[in-house]
Amino acid sequence: MKFSIKSIIFFLALTSMFACQKLEVVSPNDVASEDVFKDANGLRSALIGLYSTLQQRDYYGGYYPLIADLNSDVAKAGGYDNPALNEIADHAVTSSNIYVEQIYVALYKSITNANAIIDAADKIEDVNLTEEERKRIKGEAMAIRGMIHFDLLRMFGYHWNNASEFGIPVVTTVQGPYDIVARSTVAETYASIIKDLTDAVGLLSNAEINAKYMNLLAAKSILARVYLYEKNTAQAASLAQEVIDDGSFSLLDADNFTKIYSGRLSSESIFELSFDSQNPSFYNGTTYVREDALRSEILFIASEGLHNFFEARPGDRRSELVDFVNNDPSILPDGRTQKYRGEVAKDNPAYIIRIAELYLIAAEAKGLAGGGLSLLNTLRVNRGMNELKPADVENETAFQQFVADERLAELNFEGHRFFDLARTEKIHDVIGVDQEKGVFPIPQRELIASKEQVKQNPGF
Amino acid sequence: MIYFLRKLLSVSAALSLLIFLPGFLLAQTVQVKGTVKDAEGKAISGASIMVKGANKGVSSAEDGSFSLTVPAGPATLEVSSVGFAKKSVQLSGQSTIVDIVLQESKSQLSDVVVVGYGTQRKSNLTGAISSISNKDFKDQPVSNLASSIQGKVSGINVTSPSGTPGAGLLVSIRGAQNPLYVVDGIPMLSESNSALSTSFNTTGEEVGKGQNLSSISDINPDDIESIEVLKDASSAAIYGARAANGVVLITTKKGKSGKTQIGFNSYYGMQQVAKKINFMNSDQFVSMVEEARANDLAKYNADNSVFGPDFDPSVLTDPLHYKAGPGAVNTVWLDEVMRTAPIGNYELNLRGGNDKTHFYLSGGYFDQQGIVIENYFKRMNARLNLDHAVTDKFLIGTNISVSKTNNHRSFNDNTYTGIITNAIGASPLMPVYDENGNYAKFEDYQANWLSDNPVKSAKEIKGYTTSYRFLGSVFAEYKITPDLKFKTTLNTDYSAVEDELFLSALTTDAEAVGGKAFNGNFRNTTWLNENTLNYQKSFGDHNLGLLAGFSQQESKNERTSMSGQGFPLGSGLTNISSAALITGATQTGSGWRLHSFLGRANYDYNGKYLASVTFRADGSSRFSKGNQYGYFPSASVGWNIDREAFMANSKVLTALKLRASYGYTGDQEIGDFQNISFWQPGRYDGQSGLRPRNIADPNLTWQKNKSFNIGADYEILGGVIGGSMEYYVANRTDLLSNIPIAGTTGFATLTTNGGEVEDKGFEFSLNSKNIWNNKFRWTTNFNISYQKNTIKKLPVDGELVSAYNDIAPTHIMKVGESVGTFWGVKYLGVNEQTGDAMFDDVNKDGVIDFNDAQIIGKARPDYYGGLTNNFKYGNFDFLIACQFSIGNEVYNLIRPVYENLGYSNDGGLDQVFANNSTHSLDRWRKPGDKTDVPRFAFVEKNYFENSSMFVENASFFRFRTVNLGYTFNKQKLHNIANLRLYAQVQNLFVFTNYSGFDPEVSSTGGSNDRTAGVDYAAYPQPRVFTFGLTASF
Repeated sequence: MKFSIKSIIFFLALTSMFACQKLEVVSPNDVASEDVFKDANGLRSALIGLYSTLQQRDYYGGYYPLIADLNSDVAKAGGYDNPALNEIADHAVTSSNIYVEQIYVALYKSITNANAIIDAADKIEDVNLTEEERKRIKGEAMAIRGMIHFDLLRMFGYHWNNASEFGIPVVTTVQGPYDIVARSTVAETYASIIKDLTDAVGLLSNAEINAKYMNLLAAKSILARVYLYEKNTAQAASLAQEVIDDGSFSLLDADNFTKIYSGRLSSESIFELSFDSQNPSFYNGTTYVREDALRSEILFIASEGLHNFFEARPGDRRSELVDFVNNDPSILPDGRTQKYRGEVAKDNPAYIIRIAELYLIAAEAKGLAGGGLSLLNTLRVNRGMNELKPADVENETAFQQFVADERLAELNFEGHRFFDLARTEKIHDVIGVDQEKGVFPIPQRELIASKEQVKQNPGF
Repeated sequence: MIYFLRKLLSVSAALSLLIFLPGFLLAQTVQVKGTVKDAEGKAISGASIMVKGANKGVSSAEDGSFSLTVPAGPATLEVSSVGFAKKSVQLSGQSTIVDIVLQESKSQLSDVVVVGYGTQRKSNLTGAISSISNKDFKDQPVSNLASSIQGKVSGINVTSPSGTPGAGLLVSIRGAQNPLYVVDGIPMLSESNSALSTSFNTTGEEVGKGQNLSSISDINPDDIESIEVLKDASSAAIYGARAANGVVLITTKKGKSGKTQIGFNSYYGMQQVAKKINFMNSDQFVSMVEEARANDLAKYNADNSVFGPDFDPSVLTDPLHYKAGPGAVNTVWLDEVMRTAPIGNYELNLRGGNDKTHFYLSGGYFDQQGIVIENYFKRMNARLNLDHAVTDKFLIGTNISVSKTNNHRSFNDNTYTGIITNAIGASPLMPVYDENGNYAKFEDYQANWLSDNPVKSAKEIKGYTTSYRFLGSVFAEYKITPDLKFKTTLNTDYSAVEDELFLSALTTDAEAVGGKAFNGNFRNTTWLNENTLNYQKSFGDHNLGLLAGFSQQESKNERTSMSGQGFPLGSGLTNISSAALITGATQTGSGWRLHSFLGRANYDYNGKYLASVTFRADGSSRFSKGNQYGYFPSASVGWNIDREAFMANSKVLTALKLRASYGYTGDQEIGDFQNISFWQPGRYDGQSGLRPRNIADPNLTWQKNKSFNIGADYEILGGVIGGSMEYYVANRTDLLSNIPIAGTTGFATLTTNGGEVEDKGFEFSLNSKNIWNNKFRWTTNFNISYQKNTIKKLPVDGELVSAYNDIAPTHIMKVGESVGTFWGVKYLGVNEQTGDAMFDDVNKDGVIDFNDAQIIGKARPDYYGGLTNNFKYGNFDFLIACQFSIGNEVYNLIRPVYENLGYSNDGGLDQVFANNSTHSLDRWRKPGDKTDVPRFAFVEKNYFENSSMFVENASFFRFRTVNLGYTFNKQKLHNIANLRLYAQVQNLFVFTNYSGFDPEVSSTGGSNDRTAGVDYAAYPQPRVFTFGLTASF
């Protein structure tokens, strides 16, 4: 008896050493990357995911366009005297700026997603994947990849100088954790962007245009924008005209154009990134937050300069979108843009590209001589302004100034002004700093992490 | 490898079967009876009476009596009891009744110390272990047991980053944070599991950790018998993969045989903020604005170009719309949001048992109201520790603890509607309520900094965290032979946390949406099964102890949350079902498993030469195949020199032991699922897809702590003076860290092994019985630790890190510096001629910006320690416990808010940035003034936030506990065995030059030591006055 108790104890002692469960634990939250692209469904899921990465706070979730505007004459910094925001507003961005650092990585994160789709799109064998769908998915991903590279170029590279070495790191392959990509030249960067967008145009079909997604016309529109920056005016003009002529998208008139902002997916939006209350964007929260918000409660304030600009444009109904009157009289006239109202749901979309911009691209690219004035006038009339008579426009320079002003009036707080000033090399004239401040610095973090393989822009 | 280990263990288990030794029946025996008493004639229960050389013994009963059988003929009894000198009694052969008197020992060498998976006598230890028992920390009005060891033991720096009731503490053992807590053998979750962050920016995003709660607060400090801190590798390596940051062993009270003792402990008291920051009153505030404008106007008149072409000088000359003077509002905001708050604790316990069964049963209630209005922390808990000897050989038992805590959270720190953060900047001209009794509209008054009426924030943001905790274990122990024991335990740690947050429609956060609510639930279950074989045997003078074991552990958790906005007006409803819009719903799960094999061999020769080796192999699910197992060996030796013949007669140095140890420990705390590259769900346009979540290093493996320790324990005059000294070098290599990687990968960081941090230090402790007689006793305990933390290697040198992800970098990780080094612009003082602040323009470009940043300080102290004096005179006892820290600095990032020198932040005439503390009154006024406070300036900032202007020396000497007690004479008490009354002051006074609320601070909660030492208006620490009683029946 005594021995048998001992035996039982020992049996227990020994068996417990073998009775172990397996060590691995499977995550209920995520899917291992090697399991994502097993079939067509993986490809479809990854494409939805790609749009969700565009929604990142530091990209089209709000900060990419708004931080760019903050560096121009459109916006001023709010917030609790935040040095990182203030230095952007003072056009003295340093390379350790936390916002710039986060934006840089956010954009490459979207590229990572796009690259994985493009890489897998040709490899996946699945009877349920039609050739048509394969082309659509790949086309959307390629157009988005081109767009993101362009957004990086205009923020971090010398996009106005095709001969410059200061392009951006072009990433078109799936990256390992220790891979480092050095900067391409500006010309190489443009070439890659244009190739992506051109290939995408070839892959996307005209059948269904849904402005919530990257589509054929959006790809063409962004390509027109790229050509304009690259100063390939002929291509820019013809592509822009093509989109206008397509007729899928059209301008709203002076009484209705504010519906671009109050409604969703107006006829003007060619690519409009949607948000909802469970995936809110940051536009309202950083520009209007609530009716009587103090300047400290919001991050991006409309500048007095923008107010003065509209004061000098009688009839321009777009002035209604800049609010300088609603605040408590004891508070300085801090402006708010009205483009992002919606304090309840905070589902303000990102207006990635609108038809109005295509009119502006075409007008600028064609120039006064090429018949740009009528395109400019079409937009002016639809915003409550009178038509410019040929006599009002003395020469090409004057015409280009009209276009530039029109761009400011139309696209403020949509992330264009800073890039436009850099593109036309007006940084010094308008905001009083050198043209080399027409780009953002490569974040210090990147210089360190890339072991200095990524070089800093001059002057930072 | 696993297979091999299992084999090895099963072989060793089988071998141990052979050690069964047949018992010899002795031919002739004598029955010996007697009692054990102390010098005053009081019975000593539980004393051990052993027959020398026979491996046989008994314990004395409650009345000191014992009885045992010894072989006929001359024999020697060895009698010992904790706290008494060991005594040998010769039996003359025939005498059968012996009365033994033990002398109280001043020596602590025979004290029993809890070690991993066992206990050891202090004299036999070869590792660096600090031990503290209940008597050293009882009566303290604290919610967190880690407070108990603040300043009491060397090598452990415990700081209170926040005065929030129930808040987590920063526990750093030899420079490594977040040790493993083991309660009665169960490794316990110690992190904060609440989903309520208290750190938000204006758009509602989490920007930092804010105040963290501590799940260690679920344990009632009253239930604790002793706390042991395993500091070096040789003592901690038995906990292998979780021991790299040291181990804290907590042992709860156990039952005792004898009459059931009923104990009642209680205290009640009041708390007040220990230190206030004084702010300008209305007059001073308005004069500051006027002086700032006058200064700027003078500058403008001298040279108007410096203000830029667009500058409108009218802001310097137009009359202000507000003025101070008689009848003006004069709100002292800190007084409005702080209060004198009660604290109370009530605890009842029963302790008793018989020869076979022992129990300890306790219940407690702790209620601490916060010194910030509305805030409180309450805890109810119960514990049952029970053991029962089924037979002489078979012991079973259980330790069960259940608790519930209720916490009304307080929103402070780096959150934009924080109560303290807002009160600190609010204008004194603003009333709390307007003439209609509504909260005054903060927008209408003169401080731009404000984002809400602080009193409104306190009352209308309601955050509650409720946690339920069950810690239970059952164990069975079987003596296979007298020398070999098998023990198996099954433990569970269940924890549930409910978070509720409601922002009423009156708050700025929720005004536009009609109220906001967040509800979160967290549930974690951990199972642990441990099986150990323990062998103890003496072969003449050779003593051997062997331990082998296997354990498996699994932890699983699930987190769900919902949020909604828009609630029926005036309904008082706050549940999500009544929300107009659901704004979020999440459900995530996580888990890990750990399989471990452990072994230890202790050997000593006659207690003179000691050696110990330990080994643990841990397999963790957190690492990839091939890297899952980590092996953690250690070895240590000791030499009790006093047992050598040449020291045997030493009257002065009565005990001296030298120790040395070396070993590896590991750290697996990187979070779950970091070893695999994952894609996570991402939604767009009503569809759900997948997007990259992280990029993983498939070779991720254990962080190792290679630590070397030499130490000495000494006693002088038989324990009148005693203590120890330690020197150690600990190298944490293969640091688990998020290293920056090229952004072109799509990610900013990679969790990998890289870098090396060295901690070197010297520790000294001394306990002295200055006066020791029956009438008067005075003891002094002193400890000091010197510690140097150096980054030796980094995957990426010079990485800048920010305490909050919405502000500029505050810290740098740099080789040669310590972790937690501050980064910013260097302040050079005030220009005596102009009153302007001067900064070091490192790149000489004429502009002061972040490009001029440099190292400007460090968070870590050079020295820290404590000094405790205990006095006992007759029935009175008196204690003063102090704690100090030297060389640590604090980056006081909230100071730029309240020392803005009248800056208007472009807010113009009616919105200066914030009120100022009276420290700003020391400003420069006229050429030639010598001061470190620049002149007031209205338009341009005359300070730089991230600069050494706001880095302060935070060295301190704190009177932590002062306690005066009176114990009543037993004879005078009816039915009461013991009664003591006391009065106590906690946190009486702090000597420091630090200007903030408290130099012990970390607004980030301190869980990340890379961003340590930042003060962003953390919840201030209270001073606590309590009266208490302890009674037993």
